[in-house]
Amino acid sequence: MTQLPISRRELLARSGTGLGVLGLAGLLADESKAAAAASGASNPLAPKVAHHPAKAKHVIHLFMNGGPSQVDTFDPKPELTKRHGQQPGAAGLKTERKTGGLFASPFAFKRCGQSGIEVSEIFPEVGKCIDDICVIRSMHTNIPNHEPGLLLMTCGNTQAIRPSMGSWLTYGLGTENQNLPGFVVMCPGKPVVGPALWSNSFLPGVFQGCHIQNLDPKKVIDHIRNANVGATTQREQLDLLNALNGVHKETRPGDDQLDARIQSLEIAYRMQTEAQDAFDVTREPLKVREAYGKGYFADACLTARRLVERGVRMVQVFYGGGQPWDDHGDIEKGHRAKAKDSDKAIAALLRDLKNHGLLDETLVLWGGEFGRTPTSEGQNGRDHNNHGFSVWLAGGGVKGGMTYGATDEFGFAAAENKVHIHDLHATMLHLMGIDHEKLTYRYSGRDFRLTDVHGHVVKDILK
Amino acid sequence: MLRTAITAAALLSPSLASAAEPTAAQVEFFEKKIRPVLVENCYSCHSAEAEGKNKLKGGLLLDTRAGWEKGGDTGKAVVPGKPNEGTLLKSLRYADENLQMPPKGKLPDAVLKDFEKWIADGAVDPRTSTGGATKPVGIDIEKGKQFWSFQPPRESAPPAVNVPQFTARSPVDAFVAAKWAEKGLKPAPQADKRTLLRRVYLDLVGLPPTPDDVDAFLADNSPDALAKVVDKLLASSAHGEKWARHWLDVARFAEDQAHTFGTKPKSAAWRYRDWVISALNADMPYDRFVKLQVAGDLLPDAPEDPFTKLAGLGFLGLGAEYYKNTAAAQAIAEELDDRVDTITRGFMGVTVSCARCHDHKFDPFPTKDYYSLAGIYMGTSLSEAPLVSPAEAKAYAEALAKAKDAENKVNAHLATVAKAAQTKAQAQTVTYLLAARKVRAAKGGKPSADEAAKAEGVSPYFVNRWVKFLDTPAAKNLPEFKDWFSLKPDADMTEVKAAAEVMQKAIMQGGKNSPVQKVVVNDKDAPFFLPPADAEKFFLTDADKPKLTELRGELDKRKKETPPAPATAHVVSGNGAGMKVYVRGNPAVQGEPVPKGFLQVLPSPAPAGDKFNRLDLANGIGSKDNPLTARVIVNRVWSWHFGRGLVNTPSNFGKLGDAPSHPELLDWLAVNFVKNGWSLKWLHRQIVLSSVYQLASASSPENDKIDAANVYLWRGNRHRLDIEVWRDSLLFASGNLDPAIGGPTFDLRDQNAKRRTVYAKISRHELDGLLRLFDFPDANVTADKRTVTTVPQQQLFALNSEFMANQARAFAARVDKLGKTDAEKVAAAYRILFGRTPETREVDLAERFLKLPTKPEDKLTRWQQYAQVLLASNELMYVD
Repeated sequence: MTQLPISRRELLARSGTGLGVLGLAGLLADESKAAAAASGASNPLAPKVAHHPAKAKHVIHLFMNGGPSQVDTFDPKPELTKRHGQQPGAAGLKTERKTGGLFASPFAFKRCGQSGIEVSEIFPEVGKCIDDICVIRSMHTNIPNHEPGLLLMTCGNTQAIRPSMGSWLTYGLGTENQNLPGFVVMCPGKPVVGPALWSNSFLPGVFQGCHIQNLDPKKVIDHIRNANVGATTQREQLDLLNALNGVHKETRPGDDQLDARIQSLEIAYRMQTEAQDAFDVTREPLKVREAYGKGYFADACLTARRLVERGVRMVQVFYGGGQPWDDHGDIEKGHRAKAKDSDKAIAALLRDLKNHGLLDETLVLWGGEFGRTPTSEGQNGRDHNNHGFSVWLAGGGVKGGMTYGATDEFGFAAAENKVHIHDLHATMLHLMGIDHEKLTYRYSGRDFRLTDVHGHVVKDILK
Repeated sequence: MLRTAITAAALLSPSLASAAEPTAAQVEFFEKKIRPVLVENCYSCHSAEAEGKNKLKGGLLLDTRAGWEKGGDTGKAVVPGKPNEGTLLKSLRYADENLQMPPKGKLPDAVLKDFEKWIADGAVDPRTSTGGATKPVGIDIEKGKQFWSFQPPRESAPPAVNVPQFTARSPVDAFVAAKWAEKGLKPAPQADKRTLLRRVYLDLVGLPPTPDDVDAFLADNSPDALAKVVDKLLASSAHGEKWARHWLDVARFAEDQAHTFGTKPKSAAWRYRDWVISALNADMPYDRFVKLQVAGDLLPDAPEDPFTKLAGLGFLGLGAEYYKNTAAAQAIAEELDDRVDTITRGFMGVTVSCARCHDHKFDPFPTKDYYSLAGIYMGTSLSEAPLVSPAEAKAYAEALAKAKDAENKVNAHLATVAKAAQTKAQAQTVTYLLAARKVRAAKGGKPSADEAAKAEGVSPYFVNRWVKFLDTPAAKNLPEFKDWFSLKPDADMTEVKAAAEVMQKAIMQGGKNSPVQKVVVNDKDAPFFLPPADAEKFFLTDADKPKLTELRGELDKRKKETPPAPATAHVVSGNGAGMKVYVRGNPAVQGEPVPKGFLQVLPSPAPAGDKFNRLDLANGIGSKDNPLTARVIVNRVWSWHFGRGLVNTPSNFGKLGDAPSHPELLDWLAVNFVKNGWSLKWLHRQIVLSSVYQLASASSPENDKIDAANVYLWRGNRHRLDIEVWRDSLLFASGNLDPAIGGPTFDLRDQNAKRRTVYAKISRHELDGLLRLFDFPDANVTADKRTVTTVPQQQLFALNSEFMANQARAFAARVDKLGKTDAEKVAAAYRILFGRTPETREVDLAERFLKLPTKPEDKLTRWQQYAQVLLASNELMYVD
């Protein structure tokens, strides 16, 4: 998978036409230097050695921003049905707004797979994949508001802007394909908070997530296409540029930065075709496309597989702009519609990864920034809930067909084997071969981490 | 007697009883029931071992008796004999939402009972080995003062050094040359004049020299040729535009917030940027530059001119604002951290923010110092200050209030008109309904609302609204309207009237805030809703008119008398109230109150008022007695010239920062900088006119073995241009650069934008793609230097962006006028871009390229394509 940087000799061979016409070959001396520059010494995104052998090489985060309800998806609570409308003290925890009595899930739960884990009827296809999935039912986070919740989930901090998980991963591990960004974020429009969710913060800018709003392959990356000259002409321009840069370099020997830029120009040239190819889901067989279904989320899931296949380190797919899962009112209608829109694509992604032999090396995370109250808000909605919620992991060295932890009898607060978001991050980094306490960046006089001073690896869910 | 007393006490106080002689049963209980639970569930975060791994939580040790006796951040863990006191059992019980242990889940009730019993029974604990609990804590300030950066800078005489083939022109040269001699380094030769001129131009004004500048400099053989150029450049306004950007990195200047919820972009943020530019161009003494940014509003000798006096306060006035909802206290704490961090690192190069949660681990800053500084800002606000004299500001505010008052009177009058019309109409609800029903049933548009209204003798305005309203869910959902909506199309008039009367009655009898009134009168879509403008248009009676005309006249007069809104600047205002220590940085756990004040390790000015406030802080920082301030800025400027500071961590002069490579030089510069009136232009001259600055960027394998990183400055540092300088150079070369100075920002996404990059919009929420790509720092936090990365997306910009194509077109057109043959034009292009004549092979390459056949799909001519290649070249992007 690793894309070796091309050598100057290869460059000459590939771009024969332009150079031939110009007769520049003789000007391009000093191959060894160029190769040295390309070897990664100066490339912050070159693949790096992990702290320990990694189970997973890539992360796909299916981010259900807005906060899906655990008691309507992956954490069945019969007690809610029994005591619908009651207001027991234990269900009176503080959240963003005032809620009423217990509110039974409008959905039936069904035992799925060999493991018999119960999954809500609104996720029938995901239910079929449950034996590859580890549901964590005891998640908890700090604050029941979207902005801090989203930031904590993506960057490990509720307020001040810190590097996001994808930025930390590419900083720690580099990426395997230099022709594509190492950290890709797909979201139509902008989520609440916005770009801070994939910010590099104080890490160098090259580690920022590459946000893709429009999945049109011609528009995915800034300036990916040249609107003014054709491909052949551009090659000729680049050959001339290489030649002139070669003349410039002759009297400035031993300067890696000049070589690095020459190399980088060649990579950019190739990125134009490779990136457009990677994002072009129309190249997939019809059967595969049909399995994912239609719409932005489905295409983004399929693109996620294509990117991971090409060595991209982390792909984050936001379910939608704004905060789509935020069903304060009519949870039945809202959750049913969003589950219907995403169920097929999520299951197709898991199966597709498996078919390509990629699931073992790809860690998939599904979940929101927090959960929702088992009590009602208004007539039939649910409020934000930081005390307890569910996420699930699949692939990448995580045990399938298991649940971990539990919430209380109503599904309000995590009760057994509680997992904080810092713990989730620590576990994900662990699976990627990183000791979360050792992945640090010295900034403002101290070493910063994704997990700050927190985080325990949840060992029980590791294969 | 004594014995009796002890016995009595022992009976009364179980803790003393246990301190005496524990029984074997008590020890056994501890060993069997308590110790295993502690080991299993608590030691991973609350033991000497955890502390050794930096994993100790809450400052609490539970692996010795001394540990729980001392307790943690939230107080004593166990009070023997009192199960309901102490934090241990409280947290095990999970009763307090903020104090629940172990974090993984509540322990079984039986275990809790054991702990209750153990504590009630005197908490016998035979574990005596000491963990970290008894270690002395605290920071020795006096000892801290001994560290080099907290000692006053000392001026030493420049050493006399004789280095072959090197002419020392200044003390700077002498200090640097002494290190060469010490390390065995041989300096590179002096750069040639063309290289030097390009270097000095790009460095001091951020733009390349013109061919005429080059010719003039080459022709000037006088010894002060360079000094003349430097003076010219320092005097040009372009100098401030280039150097302001360096400071703006430190000031984490931006025009908005990362969080958009509840915050607004700062529309006048650019005034702070312009303030920095004009301060640098005016060579404002640096101590004053500091003081005006911290306390321009409070300085007794502040300049009269309100812009100079106040706009610098944008340093903090444009500071971070965080999301406040459920976690407001935390958000405020983060905002205070932004103030403390930016001030201490920005001006003094110390990482005081590290002391927010615990005493600084390496430098002499106790947590108390952090909160002394934070308290100066606790309760201050970010506001807008008018940039006019107080008298003018007052006049404006008064005029504005009068105009507002006049406007209110107009509105009140119209409200009376509306109210009268509405009251009358409500009493005619039945009539309106009958008219509306006719219109709704109309065939072929007869009767229209106007006709029906006329026939019934009511207002067509309300009939129209009723017609629309009767279709809305709001109408249909009202229980009082049930009869009306149950009417069959052929219902007879009696039925219709009866249903209408039900509605009229409900409306007339519904209180002001009743659901019916809301839907029928108050809502925007309500049938009897009447905004003032419509009241005037449709319901104004002749009797109402004279008064309205009079009020309108008054309003117009007031508006005319109101001067234009004064320009404003974003400032920090007020004085902080002081605060308590937040234990471990947690606003929910407040410790002792600390007085506002300065860092104890530094000389502190006596407060001008009764309490230490922003003015005192300004005086403390901008003081010649502060050992950091002058050193830090001198080092920053050095670093911005050479790409590397004498202290290579320009915002960290603490123990974990780098030690200075040339301590005597740093001190010499700092001391003389102050002596020379804190003049930054003096400093630039010292640096740029030194022989060290003028060394060629030549390599040397011998020197590389000793100092490959060029710490000791034996050669010039070739480096990539900052994005601002590169983009500005492209615009300058193509002839497109708009030289306008100052003013509101422009958007870099506009590929036709032609202003200097320093005037571009800077966002914390979403940094411009071009800036981010080329290593512009995140504007959420202060930045001391820029990382340099080389990534393909940068080259995509050079190859494919419309901006580059635009410059290529313009540059090709410019060059086209400067020669007849391709060779002549190529020579002209090289003169403009690189200040030199092209080599034969370069001309040869150009001619071959330009002769290539054109292709139908290309929108750029061969010359334009060639121009783009030159603009994208390494020679333009890097400076020797």
